[in-house]
Amino acid sequence: MSALEEHAENIEVVPVRHPGRIVAGVAMLVLFLMFLHTLISRIPDPQTGAMIWRFRWNIIGQYLFSSLIFHGLLLTIELTVAAMAAGIVLGVVIAVMRISHSRLLSAPAAGYTWFFRGTPVYVQILFWFAAGTLYPTLTLGVPFVHLTVFTFHLNHLTAVEAGIVALSLNEGAYMAEIARAGLISVDEGQMEAASSIGMKRVQTLRHVVLPQAMRVIIPPTGNEVISMLKTTSLVSTIGVYELAGVANNISAQNFENVALLETISIWYLAVTTVLSIGQFYLERHFAKGSSRATPETPWQRLRSDVRGIRSKWRLLPTGMTR
Amino acid sequence: MSEVMVQSIGLAKSFGSNEVLRNINMEVRRGEVTCLIGPSGSGKSTFLRCINHLEKHDRGELLVDGVMVGYDLRNGKLYERTSSEIAEARSNIGMVFQRFNLFPHLTALSNVTIGPVKVRGMSSSDAKERATELLRRVGLEEKAEAYPSQLSGGQQQRVAIARALAMDPKLMLFDEPTSALDPELVGEVLDVMKDLAKSGMTMIVVTHEMGFAREVADSVYFMDQGIIYESGDPQEVLVNPQSDRLKSFLSKVL
Ligand SMILES: Nc1ncnc2c1ncn2[C@@H]1O[C@H](COP(=O)(O)OP(=O)(O)O)[C@@H](O)[C@H]1O
Ligand SMILES: [Mg+2]
Repeated sequence: MSALEEHAENIEVVPVRHPGRIVAGVAMLVLFLMFLHTLISRIPDPQTGAMIWRFRWNIIGQYLFSSLIFHGLLLTIELTVAAMAAGIVLGVVIAVMRISHSRLLSAPAAGYTWFFRGTPVYVQILFWFAAGTLYPTLTLGVPFVHLTVFTFHLNHLTAVEAGIVALSLNEGAYMAEIARAGLISVDEGQMEAASSIGMKRVQTLRHVVLPQAMRVIIPPTGNEVISMLKTTSLVSTIGVYELAGVANNISAQNFENVALLETISIWYLAVTTVLSIGQFYLERHFAKGSSRATPETPWQRLRSDVRGIRSKWRLLPTGMTR
Repeated sequence: MSEVMVQSIGLAKSFGSNEVLRNINMEVRRGEVTCLIGPSGSGKSTFLRCINHLEKHDRGELLVDGVMVGYDLRNGKLYERTSSEIAEARSNIGMVFQRFNLFPHLTALSNVTIGPVKVRGMSSSDAKERATELLRRVGLEEKAEAYPSQLSGGQQQRVAIARALAMDPKLMLFDEPTSALDPELVGEVLDVMKDLAKSGMTMIVVTHEMGFAREVADSVYFMDQGIIYESGDPQEVLVNPQSDRLKSFLSKVL
């Protein structure tokens, strides 16, 4: 009879204790409470000496949902969506060109990335705003023989459009590198297998390579979207007032800088939160067939936590009885 | 329809200065099973890949079902085939890889249907019906909805065979289909291949499974350093090797 069987009647499993974790947890809690206190405490007003909320909580409400701020927010979202959509399409096209066997395609793609990553996006925005004076019209046609396919009037470009063009072209360069990383992460054998059943290059790309590349492409693309959300504020240099630009204008008049910075930070955080949730579900979708388990949704995680706590209270691992 | 399915005459292929295939002569008749054996690096995979034009050969002539691979002879000139002509030709030749190369983002069933649907334009319900039947044929009907990562190596390889069969190929190429498998899983894949051979499929099989070669093959070719040293009836070639190279190779794999 083994030692375990001998005591089978009244055996108790004592979980290992983690005193270090408890100390660290308490320390974190104290630090957090101290921080919370600074957020909700009052300080004397520098001018009047009257006690006021350090973070102006009493007045941000009036800005948070004001129509000026709201319009700024809307413009920020519009700029982000437009620039990212165009940037992603452009990036995938350039990445596909870049991995092409033809130097006539790969070299221009490499050149594009080199140029648009190598100059500040701030400069590019100013450039596209001024482009109308350099190239009043862009015409696609055959050089030197005056045959035109279409004409594009750069001098009619509004500031918002110039901003979108600049942000898109710049984003295209970054997305190209992200998409290329995704494409080359797919095993060579996948292309061969697709070819061997008679799929053509474009079909292989569309049905075999890209869906697998998405797993590598999505996380850094999420980064790019969130980064773009804030980069759009640079267009205020050409007179397009999105969220940050509007806030800047308001605080220039009433000097409530802190309250307005808080207001827009809250909005940026709110949009980022929504975007992160979207990214989570998108990643889950493209994780299909992966050998790693798909991550739990917050709801599923909550349920398994509850199950975990419940079984802890029973003290004994399942399958063992007292 | 030609009686000879694959004919290779003086085929040669180099990678840079590395002469991988030197002078390959081979004839595979319709409905025959041909085993290609030889040490690692001797050019067996390269030869198979030439047959469905995943590699371009440099010299010699290669015919599949009487049609020249990769080129078209017209008015005394060789015209290189377009990529869509090559894709069309490949769709009639099944290939099974050592590392399975299933599409990991698709279920077993979708791995089998994707070819007929995307390449042949078959309706997805017809393709599903046919794929289910093929999965039954390789003994995996109940795994239709499983992803490759949820299948054993032997099961993955059987799905890969079903995927190739879904295109109704006239020729099947196997490149060491059991070399990546745990020993206890080799049998289930060889069994599927034996059934396929019995059904009259023309097959070229690169393999180290000498038992399979002896039992199933109509002829065996021994390749070393890009040259065919011996070929013929498996009993002759495997039981009574003539060249020292084959003798030493067989002593290692048996
Ligand atoms: N794409 C390639 N580029 C350069 N060398 C290659 C390539 N594919 C195969 N080789 C070389 O060709 C030789 C034969 O390879 P392979 O046909 O795979 O042999 P086997 O299948 O008989 O083991 C090896 O020396 C290998 O390094
Ligand atoms: Mg090989």
